[in-house]
Amino acid sequence: MTATLRIPPRGFRPALDQTAAMSRRAVIALVRQPSLVIPSLVFPLFFAALGTSSFGRAISIPGFPEVDSFLDFALAGSIVQGILFGSIVSATALATDIETGFFDRLIAAPTSRISILLGRLAGAMAYGAVQTVLFVVILLPFGLTIRGGVLALLAMMVGGLLTALAVAAVMSTMALRTGSSEAVQGSFPLLFVILFFSSAFFPRQTMDGAYRWIATLNPISYLVEGFRSLTIDSVSALAVAQTVLIPLALAIGGVRLALRSLRRRVAAA
Amino acid sequence: MTSPILASGLVRTFGTGDNEVRAVDGVDLEVNAGEIFGFLGPNGAGKSTTVRMLTTLLRPTGGSAQVAGYDVVTEADSVRRNIGVALQDAAIDPLMTGQELLRLQAVLYGLPRSEHRSRADELLERVGLSSAGDRRVGTYSGGMRRRLDLALSLIHEPSVLFLDEPTTGLDPMSRMALWEEIRRLNGEGTTVLLTTQYLEEADQLADRVAIIDNGRIVREGAPEALKAGVGSPTLFVRVASAQEDAASAVLSRFGELRPTAEGMLGVGLNGGAGEVSAVVRALDEHGVSVDHLELSAPSLDDVFAEATGHRLEGAESPSGG
Repeated sequence: MTATLRIPPRGFRPALDQTAAMSRRAVIALVRQPSLVIPSLVFPLFFAALGTSSFGRAISIPGFPEVDSFLDFALAGSIVQGILFGSIVSATALATDIETGFFDRLIAAPTSRISILLGRLAGAMAYGAVQTVLFVVILLPFGLTIRGGVLALLAMMVGGLLTALAVAAVMSTMALRTGSSEAVQGSFPLLFVILFFSSAFFPRQTMDGAYRWIATLNPISYLVEGFRSLTIDSVSALAVAQTVLIPLALAIGGVRLALRSLRRRVAAA
Repeated sequence: MTSPILASGLVRTFGTGDNEVRAVDGVDLEVNAGEIFGFLGPNGAGKSTTVRMLTTLLRPTGGSAQVAGYDVVTEADSVRRNIGVALQDAAIDPLMTGQELLRLQAVLYGLPRSEHRSRADELLERVGLSSAGDRRVGTYSGGMRRRLDLALSLIHEPSVLFLDEPTTGLDPMSRMALWEEIRRLNGEGTTVLLTTQYLEEADQLADRVAIIDNGRIVREGAPEALKAGVGSPTLFVRVASAQEDAASAVLSRFGELRPTAEGMLGVGLNGGAGEVSAVVRALDEHGVSVDHLELSAPSLDDVFAEATGHRLEGAESPSGG
């Protein structure tokens, strides 16, 4: 018997390389499936455009934040909306890997288990950051002004990336638990409801009763308001904290959940 | 040296209580170094479940197994580092190119970065996919995917290779090409365990065969020996009618004469197929000239039928030759 010629090494370095390679694969998948990615780019922009033309004068309602145009107000909601949709794409890809057996191919190899998940999450993060910048760049010619300037944009990019991580992690948990891409995609309406019951589309100040109460409990509201404050006010410690720390906290919880589901799936075999 | 693949009393059940299914029901296996071991059985017999346990993808419910010298449960990681695996139902990402997938595989198996490109090119050439290396796998034919799959499993030059139904669904040409490659690998010293539902594949390729049905191994041995166990092969001879008596006298020395179609003589060769040349020489010595000679061996399907009481599902009925 000839021995295996290249016994794969163990350790941290291979795991890091594997995470990088899996991230590359996740990005390749996004780039090569424009039909999956484009809706999550176009839809929020469409919403922003619709809002700006329909609710243009809503900005003069008492209680509405002081803004130059509705577009400045709408940007934050569009970014978070785009990221929610985009993260579904990443998590669906993970579920599809499980369905098609590509996941088995990965775990039959001495692949660091964690890199399978981290690669996907990295893809979602890259997507979230790129999308945030893209939205700003596309909307600038239409009268968008970022009061907080470059620093605000930077904070929004980091916030976008972390939000993508948080949502992708939660969605990946579902992917790993169910192993079904349909289940992951089926959560789309749920995400939409969560988004609607937040201050993504209207300020909490103009809301009433139960709606306002739910929006006040919804962490997405504070996340969106952080983004919004950076757009329409200036860079403040509170706004940066809201933009970065809320998704960071959600991401830590989400990633822990996802890792637990990954371990369970790999061990359940 | 221990066997590269050793299993004893391997059991895997799915479900519980009344719904419990024993997919694998006490499988013992010992695959010798350097051989091609064929795991033959119909769909649902337990072949893939056994392979999934041996390749650490599935935890056995009972029994134990060592692969490449390591326990598949307690040393699963070491097993993975020493085996190559090509699974029938593990799809290849259609969005990536063959070259990209091989390089990803090279990372997963920790090859030095400087070798990724050359190793990928080398393997693509080996399986005849050099010109398709930069195309997305989604554009590959079934045969091309299987060949890429084989290339992927070879990235770290494993000493033990598991191929789960490597040729299922392939056209005869692609199947032959894959057989040739598997033989070549085996010639280089790789121990191969392959599962198949094709009698011919097990017969042609495997040094030894285990026939599995309902989660149990019902026969095991070299294909020739298994077939010989069913009965001796029949040699059919046609000679000029004037020489039939002389020919019969010669043939009867090699075994019992068997009924045949009009104008043919048949003998069950007690010594097996190896005696054909001796028969021909003996006929020649007695001045009998042979018009037609045909050896009809018992097939593995006969072995399967004798062991299980039913024919292998979907197998061609043994006709003529």
